[in-house]
Amino acid sequence: MLFDIFNIVAMAQGLGGSSSSEFLLTTILYIVFMGFIVASFFPGFQQKMQIGFLSRDVEKNLYMIEGYLKDSKSMAEKLLKDKNFPEPQQFINKVMERFVIDPVNIEPTDIISRMKLLLRANEDTVREMITKYSPNIDPMTRSQIEISAEVVNALNMIFKIIRHYLLMAKKLNSIMIMYQLQMVAPIYVKLAEAYARAQKVFLQGIPVGDGLGPLVASRFLMNINDKWVPSKDIIAGTMEFEGRRLIVVKAEGPMATVGTPGEAVQNIIEKEGSKVSRIITVDAALKLEGEDTGSIAEGMGVAMGDPGPEKIAIERVATKYNIPIDAVIVKMSMEEAITEMRKEVYDSADKVVNYVKDLIRERTKPGDSVVLVGVGNTAGIAQ
Amino acid sequence: MAISSDSSKQPLITKTLIKCMSCDYSIERDFQEGDFVPKLVGTCPKDGGKLYIAGIYAIKLQPQQAKR
Ligand SMILES: [Zn+2]
Repeated sequence: MLFDIFNIVAMAQGLGGSSSSEFLLTTILYIVFMGFIVASFFPGFQQKMQIGFLSRDVEKNLYMIEGYLKDSKSMAEKLLKDKNFPEPQQFINKVMERFVIDPVNIEPTDIISRMKLLLRANEDTVREMITKYSPNIDPMTRSQIEISAEVVNALNMIFKIIRHYLLMAKKLNSIMIMYQLQMVAPIYVKLAEAYARAQKVFLQGIPVGDGLGPLVASRFLMNINDKWVPSKDIIAGTMEFEGRRLIVVKAEGPMATVGTPGEAVQNIIEKEGSKVSRIITVDAALKLEGEDTGSIAEGMGVAMGDPGPEKIAIERVATKYNIPIDAVIVKMSMEEAITEMRKEVYDSADKVVNYVKDLIRERTKPGDSVVLVGVGNTAGIAQ
Repeated sequence: MAISSDSSKQPLITKTLIKCMSCDYSIERDFQEGDFVPKLVGTCPKDGGKLYIAGIYAIKLQPQQAKR
Protein backbone atom coordinates (compact mmCIF):
# COMPACT_ATOMS: atom_id res chain seq x y z
CA MET A 1 0.00 0.00 0.00
CA LEU A 2 2.70 2.45 1.08
CA PHE A 3 4.82 1.51 -1.94
CA ASP A 4 1.93 2.28 -4.25
CA ILE A 5 1.79 5.81 -2.89
CA PHE A 6 5.53 6.30 -3.44
CA ASN A 7 5.17 5.07 -7.00
CA ILE A 8 2.36 7.50 -7.75
CA VAL A 9 4.35 10.43 -6.30
CA ALA A 10 7.40 9.47 -8.32
CA MET A 11 5.32 9.24 -11.50
CA ALA A 12 3.78 12.64 -10.92
CA GLN A 13 7.20 14.17 -10.43
CA GLY A 14 8.48 12.49 -13.56
CA LEU A 15 5.70 14.00 -15.67
CA GLY A 16 6.58 17.67 -15.05
CA GLY A 17 10.20 17.16 -16.00
CA SER A 18 11.03 20.03 -18.41
CA SER A 19 12.26 23.36 -17.02
CA SER A 20 10.02 25.61 -19.19
CA SER A 21 6.80 24.11 -17.83
CA GLU A 22 8.21 24.42 -14.33
CA PHE A 23 8.82 28.14 -14.92
CA LEU A 24 5.29 28.61 -16.25
CA LEU A 25 3.81 26.90 -13.20
CA THR A 26 5.84 29.08 -10.80
CA THR A 27 4.77 32.25 -12.63
CA ILE A 28 1.11 31.31 -12.55
CA LEU A 29 1.29 30.49 -8.87
CA TYR A 30 3.06 33.80 -8.23
CA ILE A 31 0.37 35.79 -10.11
CA VAL A 32 -2.45 34.02 -8.29
CA PHE A 33 -0.76 34.62 -4.95
CA MET A 34 -0.14 38.34 -5.63
CA GLY A 35 -3.68 38.78 -6.97
CA PHE A 36 -4.98 37.22 -3.78
CA ILE A 37 -2.97 39.62 -1.60
CA VAL A 38 -4.09 42.69 -3.61
CA ALA A 39 -7.74 41.53 -3.57
CA SER A 40 -7.66 41.10 0.19
CA PHE A 41 -7.01 44.86 0.56
CA PHE A 42 -10.38 45.65 -1.02
CA PRO A 43 -13.10 45.98 1.58
CA GLY A 44 -15.63 43.16 1.56
CA PHE A 45 -13.43 40.57 -0.09
CA GLN A 46 -12.48 38.84 3.13
CA GLN A 47 -16.05 38.96 4.32
CA LYS A 48 -17.29 37.40 1.07
CA MET A 49 -14.75 34.61 1.49
CA GLN A 50 -15.80 34.05 5.04
CA ILE A 51 -19.50 33.98 4.13
CA GLY A 52 -18.60 31.43 1.49
CA PHE A 53 -16.85 29.18 4.00
CA LEU A 54 -19.59 29.53 6.59
CA SER A 55 -22.41 28.88 4.15
CA ARG A 56 -20.71 25.74 2.91
CA ASP A 57 -20.57 24.50 6.48
CA VAL A 58 -24.25 25.30 7.05
CA GLU A 59 -25.23 23.69 3.74
CA LYS A 60 -23.50 20.50 4.79
CA ASN A 61 -25.59 20.46 7.98
CA LEU A 62 -28.74 21.28 6.04
CA TYR A 63 -28.17 18.30 3.72
CA MET A 64 -27.89 16.06 6.75
CA ILE A 65 -31.18 17.36 8.12
CA GLU A 66 -32.79 16.90 4.71
CA GLY A 67 -31.50 13.32 4.68
CA TYR A 68 -33.18 12.58 8.02
CA LEU A 69 -36.39 14.18 6.75
CA LYS A 70 -36.36 12.00 3.63
CA ASP A 71 -35.66 8.85 5.67
CA SER A 72 -38.48 9.68 8.02
CA LYS A 73 -40.91 10.34 5.16
CA SER A 74 -40.08 7.09 3.41
CA MET A 75 -40.43 5.21 6.70
CA ALA A 76 -43.87 6.73 7.21
CA GLU A 77 -44.82 5.94 3.62
CA LYS A 78 -43.73 2.34 3.99
CA LEU A 79 -45.79 1.96 7.17
CA LEU A 80 -48.88 3.38 5.48
CA LYS A 81 -48.40 1.21 2.39
CA ASP A 82 -48.00 -1.92 4.55
CA LYS A 83 -51.30 -1.10 6.22
CA ASN A 84 -53.04 -0.65 2.84
CA PHE A 85 -53.60 3.04 3.43
CA PRO A 86 -54.95 4.70 0.28
CA GLU A 87 -52.76 7.54 -1.09
CA PRO A 88 -50.03 7.61 1.59
CA GLN A 89 -48.13 10.40 -0.16
CA GLN A 90 -51.10 12.74 0.02
CA PHE A 91 -51.63 12.03 3.72
CA ILE A 92 -47.96 12.65 4.55
CA ASN A 93 -47.86 15.93 2.65
CA LYS A 94 -50.97 17.04 4.49
CA VAL A 95 -49.69 16.28 8.01
CA MET A 96 -46.17 17.46 7.21
CA GLU A 97 -47.31 21.06 6.89
CA ARG A 98 -49.81 21.01 9.76
CA PHE A 99 -49.52 23.67 12.45
CA VAL A 100 -51.27 24.87 15.61
CA ILE A 101 -51.51 28.60 16.18
CA ASP A 102 -50.81 29.74 19.74
CA PRO A 103 -53.79 31.30 21.48
CA VAL A 104 -53.78 35.08 22.02
CA ASN A 105 -51.68 35.78 25.12
CA ILE A 106 -52.11 39.53 25.64
CA GLU A 107 -55.48 38.61 27.15
CA PRO A 108 -54.53 35.78 29.53
CA THR A 109 -58.04 35.04 30.81
CA ASP A 110 -58.95 31.40 30.04
CA ILE A 111 -55.77 30.99 27.96
CA ILE A 112 -55.41 27.42 29.28
CA SER A 113 -58.85 26.35 28.15
CA ARG A 114 -58.26 27.91 24.74
CA MET A 115 -54.89 26.20 24.46
CA LYS A 116 -56.35 22.88 25.59
CA LEU A 117 -59.10 23.16 23.00
CA LEU A 118 -56.62 23.81 20.19
CA LEU A 119 -54.19 21.04 21.18
CA ARG A 120 -56.92 18.45 21.77
CA ALA A 121 -58.82 19.35 18.64
CA ASN A 122 -55.61 19.10 16.61
CA GLU A 123 -54.88 15.61 18.00
CA ASP A 124 -58.45 14.52 17.37
CA THR A 125 -58.40 15.89 13.83
CA VAL A 126 -55.25 13.96 12.91
CA ARG A 127 -56.78 10.85 14.46
CA GLU A 128 -59.98 11.36 12.47
CA MET A 129 -57.96 11.85 9.29
CA ILE A 130 -56.37 8.44 9.89
CA THR A 131 -59.59 6.64 10.78
CA LYS A 132 -61.39 8.21 7.84
CA TYR A 133 -58.87 6.71 5.41
CA SER A 134 -58.70 3.42 7.25
CA PRO A 135 -61.77 2.81 9.46
CA ASN A 136 -60.78 -0.60 10.89
CA ILE A 137 -57.29 0.40 12.01
CA ASP A 138 -56.01 -1.11 15.28
CA PRO A 139 -54.98 1.34 18.03
CA MET A 140 -51.32 0.23 17.90
CA THR A 141 -50.94 1.02 14.20
CA ARG A 142 -52.90 4.23 14.61
CA SER A 143 -50.54 5.45 17.32
CA GLN A 144 -47.56 4.53 15.12
CA ILE A 145 -48.99 6.60 12.27
CA GLU A 146 -49.64 9.49 14.65
CA ILE A 147 -46.05 9.40 15.92
CA SER A 148 -44.66 9.17 12.38
CA ALA A 149 -46.77 12.17 11.38
CA GLU A 150 -45.41 14.13 14.34
CA VAL A 151 -41.79 13.25 13.54
CA VAL A 152 -42.13 14.12 9.84
CA ASN A 153 -43.79 17.39 10.83
CA ALA A 154 -41.02 18.30 13.32
CA LEU A 155 -38.20 17.41 10.90
CA ASN A 156 -39.86 19.37 8.13
CA MET A 157 -40.07 22.39 10.42
CA ILE A 158 -36.39 22.16 11.43
CA PHE A 159 -35.35 21.77 7.79
CA LYS A 160 -37.44 24.69 6.57
CA ILE A 161 -36.27 27.09 9.29
CA ILE A 162 -32.56 26.37 8.82
CA ARG A 163 -33.01 26.70 5.05
CA HIS A 164 -34.88 29.97 5.51
CA TYR A 165 -32.07 31.59 7.51
CA LEU A 166 -29.41 30.25 5.17
CA LEU A 167 -31.12 31.72 2.12
CA MET A 168 -31.79 34.97 3.96
CA ALA A 169 -28.16 35.30 5.05
CA LYS A 170 -27.04 34.73 1.46
CA LYS A 171 -29.57 37.18 0.09
CA LEU A 172 -28.66 39.93 2.57
CA ASN A 173 -25.00 38.99 2.42
CA SER A 174 -25.07 39.08 6.23
CA ILE A 175 -22.11 37.55 7.97
CA MET A 176 -23.78 37.98 11.37
CA ILE A 177 -26.78 35.81 10.47
CA MET A 178 -24.41 33.30 8.89
CA TYR A 179 -22.26 33.13 12.03
CA GLN A 180 -25.28 32.50 14.26
CA LEU A 181 -26.61 29.90 11.88
CA GLN A 182 -23.29 28.12 11.69
CA MET A 183 -23.25 27.99 15.50
CA VAL A 184 -26.74 26.49 15.96
CA ALA A 185 -26.95 24.23 12.88
CA PRO A 186 -25.03 21.29 14.43
CA ILE A 187 -27.42 21.33 17.42
CA TYR A 188 -30.35 20.95 15.04
CA VAL A 189 -28.62 18.18 13.13
CA LYS A 190 -28.33 16.33 16.42
CA LEU A 191 -31.98 16.95 17.22
CA ALA A 192 -33.04 15.82 13.75
CA GLU A 193 -31.00 12.65 14.11
CA ALA A 194 -32.66 11.91 17.46
CA TYR A 195 -36.13 12.45 15.98
CA ALA A 196 -35.43 10.15 13.04
CA ARG A 197 -34.15 7.46 15.40
CA ALA A 198 -37.11 7.94 17.71
CA GLN A 199 -39.47 7.15 14.83
CA LYS A 200 -37.69 3.85 14.17
CA VAL A 201 -37.87 2.94 17.88
CA PHE A 202 -41.58 3.80 18.14
CA LEU A 203 -42.41 1.79 15.02
CA GLN A 204 -40.83 -1.31 16.57
CA GLY A 205 -42.79 -0.80 19.79
CA ILE A 206 -39.69 -0.47 21.99
CA PRO A 207 -40.17 1.60 25.19
CA VAL A 208 -38.37 4.95 25.17
CA GLY A 209 -36.56 6.70 28.04
CA ASP A 210 -39.59 8.90 28.61
CA GLY A 211 -41.49 5.67 29.39
CA LEU A 212 -39.89 5.65 32.86
CA GLY A 213 -43.01 7.12 34.52
CA PRO A 214 -45.42 4.63 32.90
CA LEU A 215 -43.01 1.76 33.71
CA VAL A 216 -43.06 2.67 37.41
CA ALA A 217 -46.88 2.94 37.33
CA SER A 218 -47.06 -0.39 35.48
CA ARG A 219 -45.19 -2.11 38.34
CA PHE A 220 -48.11 -1.21 40.62
CA LEU A 221 -50.92 -1.64 38.07
CA MET A 222 -49.90 -5.14 36.88
CA ASN A 223 -51.20 -6.59 40.16
CA ILE A 224 -54.52 -4.75 39.99
CA ASN A 225 -57.41 -6.39 38.16
CA ASP A 226 -59.99 -3.66 38.44
CA LYS A 227 -58.97 -0.79 36.15
CA TRP A 228 -60.97 2.06 34.66
CA VAL A 229 -60.54 4.93 32.20
CA PRO A 230 -60.64 8.31 33.99
CA SER A 231 -59.95 10.35 30.82
CA LYS A 232 -58.90 9.98 27.18
CA ASP A 233 -56.06 7.42 26.68
CA ILE A 234 -55.53 6.98 30.43
CA ILE A 235 -55.80 3.92 32.69
CA ALA A 236 -56.20 4.02 36.48
CA GLY A 237 -56.34 1.36 39.17
CA THR A 238 -56.83 1.28 42.93
CA MET A 239 -54.87 -0.87 45.35
CA GLU A 240 -54.29 -1.08 49.06
CA PHE A 241 -50.80 -0.22 50.22
CA GLU A 242 -50.04 -0.60 53.96
CA GLY A 243 -53.44 0.75 54.98
CA ARG A 244 -53.49 3.55 52.36
CA ARG A 245 -55.72 3.70 49.31
CA LEU A 246 -53.31 4.07 46.40
CA ILE A 247 -54.71 5.21 43.05
CA VAL A 248 -52.24 4.68 40.20
CA VAL A 249 -52.54 6.55 36.89
CA LYS A 250 -50.72 6.07 33.57
CA ALA A 251 -51.31 6.46 29.83
CA GLU A 252 -52.92 3.43 28.21
CA GLY A 253 -50.23 1.21 26.68
CA PRO A 254 -48.61 -0.37 24.85
CA MET A 255 -49.60 2.22 22.25
CA ALA A 256 -47.33 5.24 21.89
CA THR A 257 -49.23 7.94 23.76
CA VAL A 258 -48.84 10.29 26.72
CA GLY A 259 -52.60 10.49 27.28
CA THR A 260 -54.26 13.20 29.34
CA PRO A 261 -52.86 12.67 32.86
CA GLY A 262 -53.88 16.13 34.09
CA GLU A 263 -57.53 15.65 33.31
CA ALA A 264 -57.39 12.14 34.77
CA VAL A 265 -56.01 13.36 38.12
CA GLN A 266 -58.55 16.18 38.16
CA ASN A 267 -61.44 13.75 37.61
CA ILE A 268 -60.13 11.30 40.22
CA ILE A 269 -59.59 13.92 42.92
CA GLU A 270 -62.92 15.62 42.24
CA LYS A 271 -64.50 12.24 42.97
CA GLU A 272 -62.34 11.35 45.99
CA GLY A 273 -62.41 14.87 47.44
CA SER A 274 -60.38 15.78 50.51
CA LYS A 275 -59.57 12.13 51.28
CA VAL A 276 -56.53 12.47 49.01
CA SER A 277 -53.59 13.62 51.12
CA ARG A 278 -50.77 13.42 48.58
CA ILE A 279 -50.15 13.47 44.83
CA ILE A 280 -46.93 11.88 43.59
CA THR A 281 -45.77 12.50 40.00
CA VAL A 282 -42.98 10.41 38.45
CA ASP A 283 -41.38 11.50 35.19
CA ALA A 284 -38.22 11.46 33.10
CA ALA A 285 -36.39 14.80 33.22
CA LEU A 286 -33.68 16.36 31.10
CA LYS A 287 -30.24 16.10 32.67
CA LEU A 288 -27.57 18.75 32.48
CA GLU A 289 -24.36 17.75 30.71
CA GLY A 290 -22.21 16.02 33.32
CA GLU A 291 -25.09 14.54 35.29
CA ASP A 292 -25.50 10.76 35.27
CA THR A 293 -28.19 9.10 33.18
CA GLY A 294 -30.60 7.31 35.49
CA SER A 295 -29.89 9.41 38.60
CA ILE A 296 -32.94 10.04 40.77
CA ALA A 297 -33.95 13.37 42.32
CA GLU A 298 -36.96 14.49 44.28
CA GLY A 299 -38.75 17.81 44.67
CA MET A 300 -42.07 19.57 44.88
CA GLY A 301 -44.46 20.30 42.02
CA VAL A 302 -45.90 18.53 38.99
CA ALA A 303 -43.17 16.65 37.10
CA MET A 304 -44.48 16.86 33.55
CA GLY A 305 -43.18 18.17 30.23
CA ASP A 306 -46.46 19.52 28.96
CA PRO A 307 -47.22 22.80 27.16
CA GLY A 308 -49.55 23.72 30.03
CA PRO A 309 -53.10 22.34 30.08
CA GLU A 310 -52.37 18.95 31.70
CA LYS A 311 -49.93 20.31 34.26
CA ILE A 312 -52.19 23.14 35.37
CA ALA A 313 -55.14 20.77 35.78
CA ILE A 314 -53.20 18.95 38.52
CA GLU A 315 -51.99 22.20 40.11
CA ARG A 316 -55.53 23.62 40.19
CA VAL A 317 -57.21 20.58 41.71
CA ALA A 318 -54.35 20.22 44.23
CA THR A 319 -54.76 23.86 45.23
CA LYS A 320 -58.51 23.45 45.60
CA TYR A 321 -58.12 20.60 48.13
CA ASN A 322 -54.74 21.77 49.50
CA ILE A 323 -52.84 18.61 48.52
CA PRO A 324 -49.01 18.67 48.35
CA ILE A 325 -47.54 17.42 45.06
CA ASP A 326 -44.29 15.43 45.13
CA ALA A 327 -42.13 15.10 42.03
CA VAL A 328 -39.73 12.18 41.56
CA ILE A 329 -37.60 12.47 38.44
CA VAL A 330 -35.06 10.29 36.67
CA LYS A 331 -32.50 12.17 34.61
CA MET A 332 -31.51 11.53 31.00
CA SER A 333 -30.57 13.47 27.88
CA MET A 334 -33.07 14.61 25.28
CA GLU A 335 -31.91 11.86 22.92
CA GLU A 336 -32.13 9.18 25.61
CA ALA A 337 -35.66 10.35 26.44
CA ILE A 338 -37.04 9.88 22.92
CA THR A 339 -35.08 6.78 21.84
CA GLU A 340 -34.69 3.23 23.31
CA MET A 341 -34.84 3.15 27.11
CA ARG A 342 -31.28 2.71 28.36
CA LYS A 343 -30.42 0.00 30.88
CA GLU A 344 -29.46 2.69 33.42
CA VAL A 345 -32.95 4.18 33.18
CA TYR A 346 -34.60 0.76 33.41
CA ASP A 347 -32.60 -0.03 36.56
CA SER A 348 -33.76 3.26 38.06
CA ALA A 349 -37.43 2.30 37.58
CA ASP A 350 -37.29 -0.37 40.30
CA LYS A 351 -35.38 2.01 42.58
CA VAL A 352 -38.10 4.62 42.02
CA VAL A 353 -40.77 2.05 42.94
CA ASN A 354 -39.10 1.61 46.34
CA TYR A 355 -38.50 5.35 46.62
CA VAL A 356 -42.20 6.02 46.08
CA LYS A 357 -43.16 3.36 48.64
CA ASP A 358 -40.87 4.97 51.25
CA LEU A 359 -42.28 8.36 50.41
CA ILE A 360 -45.84 7.13 50.98
CA ARG A 361 -44.86 5.53 54.32
CA GLU A 362 -43.12 8.71 55.47
CA ARG A 363 -45.57 11.37 54.36
CA THR A 364 -49.01 9.80 54.64
CA LYS A 365 -50.94 8.02 57.38
CA PRO A 366 -52.91 4.76 57.13
CA GLY A 367 -56.45 5.58 55.97
CA ASP A 368 -55.25 8.32 53.57
CA SER A 369 -55.69 8.22 49.82
CA VAL A 370 -52.67 8.80 47.58
CA VAL A 371 -52.61 9.45 43.82
CA LEU A 372 -49.52 8.21 41.94
CA VAL A 373 -49.06 9.42 38.36
CA GLY A 374 -46.53 7.87 35.97
CA VAL A 375 -46.05 10.63 33.43
CA GLY A 376 -44.58 10.00 29.98
CA ASN A 377 -44.93 8.17 26.70
CA THR A 378 -46.10 4.62 27.30
CA ALA A 379 -44.92 3.00 24.04
CA GLY A 380 -44.23 -0.69 24.67
CA ILE A 381 -45.48 -0.52 28.26
CA ALA A 382 -48.95 -1.86 29.06
CA GLN A 383 -50.46 -2.14 32.52
CA MET B 1 -18.04 18.09 14.17
CA ALA B 2 -19.05 17.94 17.81
CA ILE B 3 -21.73 15.37 17.08
CA SER B 4 -19.41 12.53 16.16
CA SER B 5 -17.67 12.66 19.53
CA ASP B 6 -20.96 11.84 21.23
CA SER B 7 -21.38 8.57 23.08
CA SER B 8 -24.72 8.11 21.28
CA LYS B 9 -22.77 6.90 18.26
CA GLN B 10 -22.02 3.69 20.15
CA PRO B 11 -24.20 0.91 18.74
CA LEU B 12 -27.08 -0.15 20.96
CA ILE B 13 -28.80 -3.51 21.15
CA THR B 14 -32.29 -3.93 22.56
CA LYS B 15 -32.87 -6.71 25.09
CA THR B 16 -35.99 -8.12 26.71
CA LEU B 17 -35.82 -9.19 30.35
CA ILE B 18 -38.23 -11.95 31.38
CA LYS B 19 -38.96 -12.69 35.04
CA CYS B 20 -41.02 -15.17 36.98
CA MET B 21 -43.87 -13.89 39.15
CA SER B 22 -43.30 -16.38 41.97
CA CYS B 23 -39.54 -17.09 42.12
CA ASP B 24 -36.27 -15.35 41.27
CA TYR B 25 -35.93 -16.94 37.80
CA SER B 26 -35.04 -14.44 35.09
CA ILE B 27 -33.71 -14.59 31.53
CA GLU B 28 -32.54 -11.94 29.07
CA ARG B 29 -33.04 -12.39 25.34
CA ASP B 30 -33.01 -10.20 22.20
CA PHE B 31 -36.03 -7.97 21.71
CA GLN B 32 -38.69 -9.31 19.33
CA GLU B 33 -41.39 -7.22 17.75
CA GLY B 34 -44.62 -7.66 19.70
CA ASP B 35 -42.89 -7.63 23.09
CA PHE B 36 -44.23 -5.22 25.68
CA VAL B 37 -44.16 -4.76 29.46
CA PRO B 38 -45.69 -6.72 31.30
CA LYS B 39 -46.78 -9.26 28.64
CA LEU B 40 -47.17 -12.85 29.86
CA VAL B 41 -44.82 -15.20 28.01
CA GLY B 42 -45.34 -18.75 29.25
CA THR B 43 -44.47 -20.65 32.40
CA CYS B 44 -41.38 -20.82 34.56
CA PRO B 45 -39.15 -23.91 34.05
CA LYS B 46 -38.23 -23.84 37.76
CA ASP B 47 -41.59 -23.74 39.55
CA GLY B 48 -44.26 -23.37 36.84
CA GLY B 49 -45.08 -19.76 37.78
CA LYS B 50 -46.17 -17.19 35.24
CA LEU B 51 -43.39 -15.57 33.22
CA TYR B 52 -43.77 -11.89 32.31
CA ILE B 53 -41.69 -9.30 30.47
CA ALA B 54 -40.23 -7.13 33.23
CA GLY B 55 -38.34 -4.74 30.99
CA ILE B 56 -37.18 -3.83 27.51
CA TYR B 57 -33.99 -1.78 27.36
CA ALA B 58 -30.99 -0.96 25.22
CA ILE B 59 -27.45 -1.87 26.21
CA LYS B 60 -24.22 -0.70 24.61
CA LEU B 61 -22.63 -3.33 22.42
CA GLN B 62 -19.19 -4.38 23.66
CA PRO B 63 -16.45 -3.44 21.16
CA GLN B 64 -15.48 -7.06 20.40
CA GLN B 65 -19.16 -7.93 19.87
CA ALA B 66 -19.61 -4.95 17.56
CA LYS B 67 -16.79 -6.13 15.31
CA ARG B 68 -18.34 -9.52 14.70
ZN1 LIG C 1 -40.46 -19.38 38.77
